[in-house]
Amino acid sequence: MVSKTDQLIEHLFREEYGKLVASLTRFFGASNISLAEDIVQETLIAASEHWSVREIPDNPTGWLVQVAKRKALNELKRNKVIQRHGSEGHLTEATESEIGTIFLDNEIKDNQLRMMFTCCHPGLATKSQIALTLKTLCGFGIKEVASALLTNESTINKRLYRAKSDIRDLGAAFDIPQGKELKQRLETVNLTLYLLFNEGYNSTSNDSIIQKEMCLEAIRLTKLLCEHFPEHKKSFALLSLMYFHAARFEARIDDKGTIVLFEDQDRSEWSKDLISLGMGFLQKSIDSSLSSYHIEAGIAAEHCMAESFETTDWQSIFNQYKLLEKVKPNPIIKLNLAIIQSKLEGIEASLAQLDLLTQDKILSTYHLLPATQGIFHMKIKNYQAAIDYLEKAASLGPSDSECRIIESRIAECRKKLNRST
Amino acid sequence: MQEFLLILKGDGMNHLSPDELQNIMSEYKTWVNTIGDKYIGGQRLEDNGAFMASKTDEIVTDGPFLEPKEIIAGFFIIQAKSQDEANEIAKTSPHLGLYQIEVRPIAMPKMD
Repeated sequence: MVSKTDQLIEHLFREEYGKLVASLTRFFGASNISLAEDIVQETLIAASEHWSVREIPDNPTGWLVQVAKRKALNELKRNKVIQRHGSEGHLTEATESEIGTIFLDNEIKDNQLRMMFTCCHPGLATKSQIALTLKTLCGFGIKEVASALLTNESTINKRLYRAKSDIRDLGAAFDIPQGKELKQRLETVNLTLYLLFNEGYNSTSNDSIIQKEMCLEAIRLTKLLCEHFPEHKKSFALLSLMYFHAARFEARIDDKGTIVLFEDQDRSEWSKDLISLGMGFLQKSIDSSLSSYHIEAGIAAEHCMAESFETTDWQSIFNQYKLLEKVKPNPIIKLNLAIIQSKLEGIEASLAQLDLLTQDKILSTYHLLPATQGIFHMKIKNYQAAIDYLEKAASLGPSDSECRIIESRIAECRKKLNRST
Repeated sequence: MQEFLLILKGDGMNHLSPDELQNIMSEYKTWVNTIGDKYIGGQRLEDNGAFMASKTDEIVTDGPFLEPKEIIAGFFIIQAKSQDEANEIAKTSPHLGLYQIEVRPIAMPKMD
């Protein structure tokens, strides 16, 4: 017999993990994130065991909150005992009556925002901020964080340990900053969420499910920021940028898991719903000051609105990249500008520009520069030159799926050469 | 029929992610349903508590008191015709792997 609550909402545990850890950290203080995590882990284990032999309760979330509260209070009692014995005590002045209020619905979002500011504390290394956000706010496990960030579990464990001890040393308060500080701190949070999204979107991990989850989590957290700080327009620009990229998520990868190049993507697979949501947030982001998120969102919007690759307004995109280069100088933007030049002035002009870029320190070891040169030479039927550039690109450490594209293009060039001789 | 205590040792579930913990529920459910009447009960234990070595020694509280792999995480009570059958049941448990399982007959034979 199937009971009415036999099934849980997908990812319920993961969602509740983030909420519960944030709320318990409010109770125990920012220096006790680990304690909060341990209690929540115990709570979820208890639920998993309890619910597998008995019925799932009508209100699973309420059940989890009750159990987590009880465990937190037990911990408090135990710690008081330890303190009395003179051993190391480390709890904040939390009272039992307080715990009732921090789990109220409207407090939970507040707790998650506090956790965002804590995870994105400017005193932490960027890599630690991202790992900590995925672990505590998004409820990813160590293995999942490692796979999402293309590293191993022991590196992630070290990063998290370091991040938590830094938070303790910094004496970071579990608060939402106010006034002038808020503006600065929001910049860091925006940047971390931007990187979190990019990590998921561009990552070369073979685990495409994790990648997508990471992007969705970045969107969820950015939305939370927008809801709470409607006057902070940069977050809206960031959110719209994420939506435009997310709209192309499925079209970027074919059935075999191979990357589909931008110009070859089937535009009917782009999600119109996500594009129109992105447009809405872009509208809301209009502000007197222009951030790099605004410009990047503008470029993405231009692509999303074009009917086809050929009819894209390349001049507008070129101008926006020029603007972006001023706001956020970065050699990759130069590469993009040189590529767009091929649309405006032809492939030869673009190749001359790309050749100049090989002098750039960063670009000289970036595989996408020779990969682009190779593909452009292919287009003008310089097959031997194309092979040389593509082989160079292959030697500069592209991802597995990029490697497959490069190899297939090399094979294509060889075929053409053989046919002509 | 005889009752057996299945003692689960280790800290395996502490390392599972929320998604994994949620997904493992259905495996447990299936397992408990498969063994049917042979499942009598079970509980998970918290890591803390008290440890007493003798009447004169000081009582050690809080814990955990042992290495992670030695910690008793919980127990099941099942009934089976023989040690072999009890072992077979334990072997199909989704806990095995996450935990080590000790299968011990309860000394008093069940009267039926």
